[in-house]
Amino acid sequence: MLNPIFKNKQFLIAFVLIWVVICILHTFILIYFYNFGLATSISESLVFNTLFAALGIGIWYPVYFTDIEKNKVVNFLTNHLAAASLAVGLWLWISYMVLTTAFSDNAEYIESLDSSLPWRVGLGFLFYVLIGSNYYLLIYYQNFKDKLLREAELKALVKESELTSLKFQINPHFLFNSLNSISSLSMVSPEKTQDMVTNLSDFLRYSLSHKDETMTTFEKELRNIDRYLTIEKIRFGKRLNVEKDIGGNCIAYYLPGLILQPLMENAVKYGIYESIEQSNIFITAKCSDNLLEVTIKNEYDPNFVSKKGEGIGLRNVTSRMKIQYGRDDLIKISRNKNSFMITLLFPQNI
Amino acid sequence: MTKIKAIIIEDEELGRELIKNYLKDNDEIEIIAECENGFEGIKTIQDLKPDLVFLDIQMPKLNGFELLEILDEKPEIIFTTAYNQYAIQAFELNAVDYLLKPFSKERLIEALTKALNRIKSHQPPGKNMNKLSQQPLDKILERVVVKSNHKIHVIPVEKIRYLEAQDDYVMIYTFEGKHLKQATMKYFEQHLDPGDFMRVHRSYIIRLDQVVQLEPYGKDNYVAKLKDGPAVRISKSGFKNLKEKLNF
Repeated sequence: MLNPIFKNKQFLIAFVLIWVVICILHTFILIYFYNFGLATSISESLVFNTLFAALGIGIWYPVYFTDIEKNKVVNFLTNHLAAASLAVGLWLWISYMVLTTAFSDNAEYIESLDSSLPWRVGLGFLFYVLIGSNYYLLIYYQNFKDKLLREAELKALVKESELTSLKFQINPHFLFNSLNSISSLSMVSPEKTQDMVTNLSDFLRYSLSHKDETMTTFEKELRNIDRYLTIEKIRFGKRLNVEKDIGGNCIAYYLPGLILQPLMENAVKYGIYESIEQSNIFITAKCSDNLLEVTIKNEYDPNFVSKKGEGIGLRNVTSRMKIQYGRDDLIKISRNKNSFMITLLFPQNI
Repeated sequence: MTKIKAIIIEDEELGRELIKNYLKDNDEIEIIAECENGFEGIKTIQDLKPDLVFLDIQMPKLNGFELLEILDEKPEIIFTTAYNQYAIQAFELNAVDYLLKPFSKERLIEALTKALNRIKSHQPPGKNMNKLSQQPLDKILERVVVKSNHKIHVIPVEKIRYLEAQDDYVMIYTFEGKHLKQATMKYFEQHLDPGDFMRVHRSYIIRLDQVVQLEPYGKDNYVAKLKDGPAVRISKSGFKNLKEKLNF
């Protein structure tokens, strides 16, 4: 509602500067082309131009209240024609009053003032159009900027909510089964109970605390996977065997927090839950300058495990990788007759 | 008074230990065997004929429900599981109780008391088990369990080519052979993935990717030729649905 010229210091400076330039030009034209005296030229220029500058600030209101999109063309034109006539009329009436009074003894000047009236009317309307158009431009520019800002905010919001909904969630059955193991351990071998409780607590704490933090080091992720596997090892004993091969300094690399956990759970679910004998899970990691490559492989019995169900876990990881890195070529899946292998690539320095 | 004989079927050692520990000073019950998986469980039940079974649901190869499905004489069952979503199914099977892990000693004794009452009153266990046991764990069936000549076959759904109704049974044709199972066509129609299978006739369900050709047969009938030879009859509506699905 407030004129944008007063909202923005730079707009105000630009507005004043433009009118100063117009004043100077006006003065020079009168001196050089019409041979007016210096005092007369400066007076006329100041009177006409400061007055229009003041009126120009008021032109904001007809512009603000005559939205191009909400008005028909006829309405739009009549509104502005009325406003322009009023402004130009007021402008000329006041200027002529002031100047004729001030220069009442200069007949030559008064005459030239009278003869130039049609030109001044034209100039007044031209000023009105120019100032009005600039106000419309300003409005559009502002709307456009607001829209961009809103869009960017919206995008960030969507990304955030997508990521939240894809975040790893603690599997309640894992939790209840672990608690059952603890309940049993407390009678069978109380000395092991404490380790199990500590491991489970650390695992839960890590899983819960990572809700709002996106990237983490591979070292922290591995440590959490170890906790998870230790717990499952207590449940499944010799049925679960894990082989790890982690390249030299890979543990310092970064990856999205808890991204590997659903894959580990899949490996245990399809590899160990469905197996009577020992089943192996392989975790390997390689790294180069700007890429960490992690592979999880599990063996399974194709006669008992449906090939269909890799389920929500895998889908979530795929979507998360896509949103996080904006690429969908970072996951490789390969299925053998009796093994399932998934490789994730994590670009660094992004 | 003779103790009732019970076995534990549970794939986790600590799970078995827990039940044994809870019951070790109880003189009404005796644990006569422990089994680590469903196959072992079936054999043990058939050999030892226990009065009561503590049965886990999620187990490798053969889950608790699948195990019950192929048992002819069923003992009393107390389910022990971390999953609460199978409780209704379990009670439909006339199970004595459904214990959610982790459970307390008191809760186990409560279940045991119920079982003892049933056994003492000589109620025939699980009257309606056969009819209702046929519910897959998940909405979509992933494997089918059948028993023939005292051997148990677990057939992954991927290996089924087509099914044929045979009175109270269904003949399951796989890529390797065929198996007879006591079940209804309706059961399979409802639980096989509709993306892969279709009921094309009162007596036939076929795997869609096996269809090679559709041919008219008699007046209002059609047959579907399947890969490597066999042909099955299709009803009029079956033909229409099949044509739509396969874009023939």
